[in-house]
Amino acid sequence: MAYSDKVIEHYENPRNVGSMDKSDDDVGTGIVGAPACGDVMKLQIKVEDGVITDAKFKTYGCGSAIASSSLVTEWVKGMKIEDAAEIQNSQIVEELSLPPVKIHCSVLAEDAIKAAIKDYQSKQGAGSDS
Amino acid sequence: MAAESRSASKSSPPSGDHFAVLGLAARHDLTRDEVEVAYLALAKQWHPDRVGPDDLAAKRRSMEASAAINVAYRALRDPVTRLEYLVKLGGVDLDSSDPKTGAPAPTQAFLVDMIERREGLSDARQGGTLAGFRGEVEDAEEEAVDAALAAITEGDTPAAAQSLVQRRYWQRLLDEIDDTEHTST
Repeated sequence: MAYSDKVIEHYENPRNVGSMDKSDDDVGTGIVGAPACGDVMKLQIKVEDGVITDAKFKTYGCGSAIASSSLVTEWVKGMKIEDAAEIQNSQIVEELSLPPVKIHCSVLAEDAIKAAIKDYQSKQGAGSDS
Repeated sequence: MAAESRSASKSSPPSGDHFAVLGLAARHDLTRDEVEVAYLALAKQWHPDRVGPDDLAAKRRSMEASAAINVAYRALRDPVTRLEYLVKLGGVDLDSSDPKTGAPAPTQAFLVDMIERREGLSDARQGGTLAGFRGEVEDAEEEAVDAALAAITEGDTPAAAQSLVQRRYWQRLLDEIDDTEHTST
């Protein structure tokens, strides 16, 4: 169990833990799971004028999964949604020095932000053109 | 280096998948007794102490056979690990995250339910309703096993794999509930 200092830091002081109203049209919600280990992750973004103004997560899983989602919520705040959609799991692996057995945790966080963006975009597309 | 001993080659060591090693049909509906009887007989037959100390080749073979018999017994004696193994024989490895041959991703509806249950756990703990909460999760775990059983009976490996993934999520939640109970008492 050789967690890096950054993983431990995020695990002990996770940023942006919490929930937003998922029925809000400005909120995108991504819920993803890692079947082999039973981790589940919820990541939400609030978008205003194409920019992510807030991000929250709840992750029920190992330290690396919590750190990966915590890091992503920190990164995406203030980002344009197109830029946030470009986040790659390899960036998370590098930042947190994740070992090979924990790479799937970073994949989960990448999937979660992509799913949240997709959810937001589908709400905008389906929403009324008020 | 020693020549093959004649006495040790009288019967060949058990080989193949875990069911074949124990000489059992590859099916889920085995009783614990059936598995145990097969195991005990083979464990006795291949016990390394039955080989003379000088017959190194036979000794090694009986040790390898014993190891295979023990691994097979551990995998098959429990109904859930037996189901997981049947799914593995069907081509899905639940311990792998490979998108094609690994554990299938749970459905979105299932994950949403799981997040809600997790959020409900702290409420249940504070509200003193943990026992009822645990009971519901236990029922869900049992339902997932039953669904996997039904799917395996119909030869539907993907459906069985999906149910067994759900079972693991429920089991994981049960473990966490029990951790909570221990830390709060």
